[in-house]
Amino acid sequence: MPVYRLTINGTARDVETAEQTLLLDLLRDTLGLTGTKYGCGEGQCGACTVLVAGKPVKACLTTASQVAGQPVETIEALASPQQLHPIQDAFLSHAAFQCGFCTPGMIMAVKALLTETASPSTEQIEERLEGHICRCGTHPRIVEAVKTAAKKIRAANSAEEGNRRA
Amino acid sequence: MPKRPFHPSDEPHPGGAKTAYRQRTEFEPGALEPERFELFEAPRYEFGIGPAFSRRAFWQSAGAGILLTVCFPLRAQKSGTVSSPGEEISARYLFEESGSITGFTGKVELGQGSRTLLTQAVAEEFFVPVSQVSLVMGDTSRVPDDGGTWASLTTPQTVPAVRATAAFARALFLAAAAQAWGIGAGELRLADGAVAGPQNRRMPLFEAAKLAKESAPPPPAERKPVPPGEWKVLGQSVPPVRGRSIVTGAPIYASDLRLPGMLFGAMVRGPHYKAKIERIRGAERLPASVTVVHDGDFLGVVAPDALTARAAAQSLGVVWDASTLVQEAKLVEHFKESAREPVFVEGARYPALLQKGDAYNGYFAAPRKLATAYTTAYVAHVPLETSSAVAVWEGDNLTVYYGCQAPFLTMELLAKTFRIPEANVRVVASDTGSGFGGKQGGLVAVEAARLAREAGKPVKLCFTRDDEFQANYFRPAALVEVRSGANPNGQIQAFDFHNYNSGASGLPIPYNFPSYYLGYHPAATPLRQGSYRALAAVANTFARELHMEEWAVGLREDSIAFRLRHIDDARLKEAIARGAEKFGWGKGSGRPGVAQGMACTIEKDARLAFFVELQAGGKDVKLLRALMVFDPGAVLNPDNLRNQITGNVIQAIGPALFEQIQWDETRLRTRRLSQYRLPRFSDVPEVEVELIDRREIPAAGAGEAPNTVVAPAIAAAIRRATGIWVRDLPLLPALAAALDARRAPRGQRPPAR
Repeated sequence: MPVYRLTINGTARDVETAEQTLLLDLLRDTLGLTGTKYGCGEGQCGACTVLVAGKPVKACLTTASQVAGQPVETIEALASPQQLHPIQDAFLSHAAFQCGFCTPGMIMAVKALLTETASPSTEQIEERLEGHICRCGTHPRIVEAVKTAAKKIRAANSAEEGNRRA
Repeated sequence: MPKRPFHPSDEPHPGGAKTAYRQRTEFEPGALEPERFELFEAPRYEFGIGPAFSRRAFWQSAGAGILLTVCFPLRAQKSGTVSSPGEEISARYLFEESGSITGFTGKVELGQGSRTLLTQAVAEEFFVPVSQVSLVMGDTSRVPDDGGTWASLTTPQTVPAVRATAAFARALFLAAAAQAWGIGAGELRLADGAVAGPQNRRMPLFEAAKLAKESAPPPPAERKPVPPGEWKVLGQSVPPVRGRSIVTGAPIYASDLRLPGMLFGAMVRGPHYKAKIERIRGAERLPASVTVVHDGDFLGVVAPDALTARAAAQSLGVVWDASTLVQEAKLVEHFKESAREPVFVEGARYPALLQKGDAYNGYFAAPRKLATAYTTAYVAHVPLETSSAVAVWEGDNLTVYYGCQAPFLTMELLAKTFRIPEANVRVVASDTGSGFGGKQGGLVAVEAARLAREAGKPVKLCFTRDDEFQANYFRPAALVEVRSGANPNGQIQAFDFHNYNSGASGLPIPYNFPSYYLGYHPAATPLRQGSYRALAAVANTFARELHMEEWAVGLREDSIAFRLRHIDDARLKEAIARGAEKFGWGKGSGRPGVAQGMACTIEKDARLAFFVELQAGGKDVKLLRALMVFDPGAVLNPDNLRNQITGNVIQAIGPALFEQIQWDETRLRTRRLSQYRLPRFSDVPEVEVELIDRREIPAAGAGEAPNTVVAPAIAAAIRRATGIWVRDLPLLPALAAALDARRAPRGQRPPAR
């Protein structure tokens, strides 16, 4: 079996696996990163969303070989042991979940969105998350959480900017 | 006397599902009754593995600490609609020296907040912070059988049980401390995780629990739960106790579990919905690492990894003998042909027949009449986490980790399927990626166990989305026929209501009709069907409320005014009035195609009034805003309740507007998410929730009731916007068909139903 050099959450490792092995199976079954979920297997629900080179990717439609050499980021890498990422913090403070199964995929998609667009409108948020299914119906809370997170990140960035200038 | 036009045949019911579920729930006096348990299919497989000899110790060591089991007979429940949870309440609490308290409950967490709510109840009664309480949920070897997590019973039954048992334990602690200190128990109270007495005396609960083991049970007057007026934890918006874990992706759902040496399973179901295996080819070409498990009509594979398992399952060549399904277009006819008469069962939680006066003749005698029929399609639960289980055999002892709603029923099903004693089976319910009634069965657990039996190692089986559609059950389709007669003033005098196939929940009416006949006719179903959030109450409320709307429109009367003159219940009246005010009922925006609709009900003891405003344009409908006024009695956790109600409203949009299972001769046509439309962000209106909190009234469950009023309010608004009555769920395809029929040249129009 071929060996691929994968960089997952900042750690490079060589993984020997079949060419068709899905990134989703690799993350979950081989590496034990089970925060990335299977929901449909056809890119319809967004539960398996991870970031590859910063872009949201459906891990159920991506093979391990396709991401070789590129940085892959999953929900497990977002928080430091001391501190939640602002997006996680916002999801938590709005209780923007019920069963929590869609949450990791949503959060990863939001991370990509907020990197591109610092203050997304409601429409932009909904459009970006249209490919994500929440069966429990927490959509309005998710939109509010994204807005709160955007605000926090903007505040943190401008504080940093201020510090740099000072 | 006119011949009864709704007369169903008296043929025996071909479905005849006698099941383990049925036995457990129907024949045990006082046992919990899951909603429409009789809809469960008979167990799919039977795999006897012969007599088993070993019995497992039922109770596993609880670790360090004092384990207190509180068990006492239950007096009759106050609420008339909720049956008692058995002859006695039992509960287990573990008190540790660190001050932490663990409660053991048979309930599970499906995302609806039961873990948080029960944690609140324990914290409230033991006077400790929520952070000091944890729960062990749904592990059949460690928890009491509290019944499945279904039918919105956690709030009205389990919370009171926890409060009562904890209050009992609290009284024991006070008595024990009083005895140890030689003072009266009346001088003592619980505070900060300890019994507190005069002169700053303190006895931690752990110490008190040690002494309490010897104490005599306190008299009933001393073991009352904390009165609602004094609640400090209940009634508060305590955030989800596992929230931090959820946002970091840390919870281990059944599909995430990994055990040493674990293998991966995959099922082979073929392209047909119901089929028998004729021949299997290609097993010899599979890699040596793959085990094929073929037992009757069970066919699955086990492999070292998921990819190999799926590939092996797909590569097997199977010749199927497929059954032909009743045509979708003939479904209504099929229900009528196979239907049986409603039968009243004494003490049933959802009686299949409710009668008052002579509605049948009252209808024919009435000067004003209305007869309409409504249908609802089969819909799928689509829990985002597909059914998943990990099975482990040790000899003839079986442990199954399963994200499920009813661990004890699954335990029983496994014992029956493999013909082993229940004591040999342990089901550990993990938190699960939602259920909505779809995880009450145990199919995935049985299949995982069968694969593991053959493989001789732990096996994980996670249903593919296709498995979930193909093998799991759906919410039943329904035909509902309604006839009613009114006096010259438009006051309804007789109401004749017949549900075919989908069930009896939601049959009771919130209206003061002097005569009614409310019946549920079981019928034969071509597709597998079972429980679903609020189940038949969705079809029944849709039919009843839209029928009320048809009366109001026919009488040129306001929807609310017409209802109010048929309602006696003061709480429901208040909910409607508050909603009308807050929503701006009747204050149209004036925009073309924009209209409002409303519906109301009393469901599972809660009062609901729902209002919606939408925009109809061509064959599409865009929901703009919605308001749910909800009166459950006491509100135990306002924020969680709002989350539940909003979520349920949003989920209900799917089956109201577009969700439906479709099929052809032998195959489902909806087997993937790309073939089955679900509510997404763009479908979601602004949803407001108005809670009416009545602390003095026992809390009603809220996880299902909001599901019932969404579709009829939308249909009412569509009628106002378009002039078209759409009487079939989902509404959008039916609206499109009605519009097409309008445009069709005369003579080609299909006959109106």
